[in-house]
Amino acid sequence: MSHENLNGCIILKDLHYSVADNTWVKVNDDGTVTVGMTDVAQNLAGPILHARTKGVGTGRRKGKPIATVESGKWVGPVKSPISGEIVGVNEGLEADAQLINRSPYRNGWVVKMKPENLDAELADLETGDAAVASYKAKMENDNMAGCTHIEGSDTYE
Amino acid sequence: MMALDLSMNKYSDVSMAEKERLFDEVKADERWHHVLYGCYECGICVAACPSARFYDFSPRVIAQSVAREDVDLVYTLMNDSIWDCSQCFSCDRCPRQNSPGQIITIMREVAVKNGLKSAKTALEGYGRIIYKIMSTGSQVSPDMLQPNAFPDWGGHVKEISDNLDVWRRALPPETLHTTETGWKITDKTIIELYLIWHMTGVMDLIQGVDEGLYMILVDVMEERLEEAGYDDVTFD
Repeated sequence: MSHENLNGCIILKDLHYSVADNTWVKVNDDGTVTVGMTDVAQNLAGPILHARTKGVGTGRRKGKPIATVESGKWVGPVKSPISGEIVGVNEGLEADAQLINRSPYRNGWVVKMKPENLDAELADLETGDAAVASYKAKMENDNMAGCTHIEGSDTYE
Repeated sequence: MMALDLSMNKYSDVSMAEKERLFDEVKADERWHHVLYGCYECGICVAACPSARFYDFSPRVIAQSVAREDVDLVYTLMNDSIWDCSQCFSCDRCPRQNSPGQIITIMREVAVKNGLKSAKTALEGYGRIIYKIMSTGSQVSPDMLQPNAFPDWGGHVKEISDNLDVWRRALPPETLHTTETGWKITDKTIIELYLIWHMTGVMDLIQGVDEGLYMILVDVMEERLEEAGYDDVTFD
């Protein structure tokens, strides 16, 4: 999977990003989408202690919370980058919320959703080199030095 | 220690009208006339102030600047100084009966109500505590003394949490012998708390300071209120 490394912050180029809300969307073959937090998000939050997802069957408009994430220093929502119904949640997060820190794009995904208006809403998200450029600008704007990773984190080659 | 920048260049991009508007809001507070009577710079408040010892902070400067109606300086202090006060009110020994601490209380409220960036930054670290208190209606409870719950509490937490029941039973008041009951909130109480915060504008305040915190609190509150039959109470 092609990726960019911005001072340690990994951006996978084939995902669709809400750069402002630090979330990603992956379009699956079965028409659902997988949603998660970005590497930048896990880094800003620090080691995550609890991640509570909304239940399967919950309908969410874009921008509304699909999960609440708590770290030692921060609590906040994971805002849904698209509108739709939650059709699956990552059960692994209940026992080990730091999956999000170690594997934000793989094992630490947050929910799967059945999108309502995917094509139009994907157009509002950024992907590929455009997403990388946006993240670069955001990190400069926020004076963010880069990302660090806890032990056992995914590696990218 | 960060030195306080009093050069007045830092906020030169903020209009005088905006600075005056905020100061007027401070002066319009009903407590205003009971907290400021004039200052003769004796420095007793500074001598008593623990924050003055450790930060570039002075309760005298606060009282002086508002008494002189120095709009520029008041704005700077409202952003960069008032959050260094610990609100201990040791300064309430002023021979003129000024209360720099209470002046700061009012200034902080105005900063929060207007969503000043300094207020957001100062309160950022408290988001998690506010979330706990406002979603559960309860303080941080003893069974949250888990090694991973508050990493900043240090390594001895594991030792305490392993034997928490024993530690609780060692406390003199019987009501504190449990990790649960003292912190249990009834449905009626939590619903009342949610309604009070909704009706008194507390939720609007939080929205102005921390949108994410507001969002997750509303999520919890709306669900619980709906279960209790308050379908018509919405926050947006």
